[in-house]
Amino acid sequence: MFLFRLALKNLLRSKRRTLLASAAVVVGIFYLVVGQAFIGGFEESIIRGATDATLGHLALQPKDYPDEPLTFPLDELLEIDAPTRAWLDEQKAWTSRLNFQVTLVHEGESLRAQGIAYDPERDAEVFSRATWTSDGDEPKTAADGIFVGHMLAKNLEVEKGDDVILQVRTAAGAINAMPVPVAGVLSSGNPMLDSLAIFAPRDLATELLRTEGINQVSVLLASRDDIDTATAELAPLSDAGGFEVVTWVEETKDLLALQQLRRTMLNVLVGMLLLMSSMAIANTILMAAHERVREIGTLRAMGMSRRGVLGLFLAEGSLIGAVAGIAGAIPSAAIAWNYSNNPIDFGKLMEGQAAAGATISFSSFVYTEFSVPIIVVPLVISFLVALVASIYPAITASAMEPADAVRAE
Amino acid sequence: MPICEVKNVTKTYGEGVAQVHAVNDVSLVIEPGEFTAFVGPSGSGKTTLLNQIGCLDRPTSGEVLIDGVATTGLGDKALSVLRADKIGFIFQSFNLIPVLTALENVELALQLSGASGGRDKAKKLLADVGLAGMEKRRPNHLSGGQQQRVAVARALVKEPSLIIADEPTANLDSESGENALQLMQDLNQNLGVTFLFSTHDQLVMHHARRIIVLKDGQVVEDGPGAGAQAGVV
Repeated sequence: MFLFRLALKNLLRSKRRTLLASAAVVVGIFYLVVGQAFIGGFEESIIRGATDATLGHLALQPKDYPDEPLTFPLDELLEIDAPTRAWLDEQKAWTSRLNFQVTLVHEGESLRAQGIAYDPERDAEVFSRATWTSDGDEPKTAADGIFVGHMLAKNLEVEKGDDVILQVRTAAGAINAMPVPVAGVLSSGNPMLDSLAIFAPRDLATELLRTEGINQVSVLLASRDDIDTATAELAPLSDAGGFEVVTWVEETKDLLALQQLRRTMLNVLVGMLLLMSSMAIANTILMAAHERVREIGTLRAMGMSRRGVLGLFLAEGSLIGAVAGIAGAIPSAAIAWNYSNNPIDFGKLMEGQAAAGATISFSSFVYTEFSVPIIVVPLVISFLVALVASIYPAITASAMEPADAVRAE
Repeated sequence: MPICEVKNVTKTYGEGVAQVHAVNDVSLVIEPGEFTAFVGPSGSGKTTLLNQIGCLDRPTSGEVLIDGVATTGLGDKALSVLRADKIGFIFQSFNLIPVLTALENVELALQLSGASGGRDKAKKLLADVGLAGMEKRRPNHLSGGQQQRVAVARALVKEPSLIIADEPTANLDSESGENALQLMQDLNQNLGVTFLFSTHDQLVMHHARRIIVLKDGQVVEDGPGAGAQAGVV
């Protein structure tokens, strides 16, 4: 304890130098904690973009269903057999959807969109409405009309209460069109849906598309981590039922791989910052060792061993790492904690970039990741970097001969 | 038992033609309670010999025994423990730790030696050397004489067998030097603490009860009145 008090007092004698050496550590740790929290948050928003808005934890769809944007053929639809239905009923929740291509026409302007025909009774059990905001009530029947994604509505200059014409090819391939009222403009929290989708109750779609079929069954498992068990259980059912299974893991893997790349780049950048800071710390401790030769000699004369001197200088370096690490971690942890409870709405930031968000499904409400490892690991790293940086100066100090050191000028 | 025995100690620096015997085959015995000064011109080997006795340096040959313990062959840790337990140092430049208060400087010696007493003992010693009320002052807020008193308290607090004082009055004015020396003499007489000095100061030589004269690394005279004949005193 006395050693640490002495080490602390030694550091405080050159406050400006200690501060400068600490600055890079503070910045590095701040950047690391905030960066990891946001990358973790973006990862979660990508996963929630799939699980909460478009897929569920997994979805059944017709075999060889195309995955190109705005391609939703109706010639191959899903038929759920009894064993599959039984399996579905054992899960936490499930619902069915019919995705279809649609052209919206309003006052002479037209735009292609994705139609999502949903089951008003069950859809919300799988796809949370927590992030949905709209100026109208969610349509339950054909008479209520449709919800239009807010960026799509903006592009088509459509408002709640307007009539739009939905133009489609029916399941049989015929062209059909019908006017429907806009029940509301929807902000779903998913930029892809907001810029591309309309939501129609199932009976409206049946009338429009001339089919009662479905091409997607979305399932909510007890936990998304149960995905391997679920796919294993579904494997024999899918062969017999003629469907394929798409999971949130497959759906998000490309984006998550990109996030992993970002995480690696962040770590490399922070690593370079910490390398710079380690050199600053090493320089600070080395200068201290050379300035305090006589003190080192005095301590040795009073009975401090070489190991004691080594410990004193390592303690000084470690204290820089620990204190600077904490100084960097406190504000960054506060930021991470704040945004883990109060999400940032990136949807608003992307208003003018509808096209950019159009093909990527993610939740625009980004909650930062806030966890003990996100704070503690950088703290341990800063401590270890400072400790390692102090080794050479500490060895230099401890190697001084007491007889010479004690009379140094 | 002698506090210190120096047996045929030689300390050599350099090699070949550049070789210098800073201490050359010196033998002497220091008994408990001595108040002894090493005198001699610059380069005579006073400081080098004190380094050997204080276990700050190792002799090239010969042996130093402290309280009967042979120091030759002891490792760094054992020598450090020996210094912490048995030897106190007072330096010409006081060598106080500038970031510590007077009290903390004295306490530091206790911490390093593991001796008992703690803060109360350190406070009492500071009071004994005339620094009551100055415990919280840092060295830069003390005069030279006061700093040397702190150094005396620091050397004494762990109750060592031997205190080595290297030119203790060299950086003090004559009055402060006289006071510091009087303090050390009182401690020697009242507590029986053994003091070894290296000095050029006539005042120290005047107070010393034994004077060992060194020249070219060798003892040329040793006794209560030594130095007079050698022209040193």
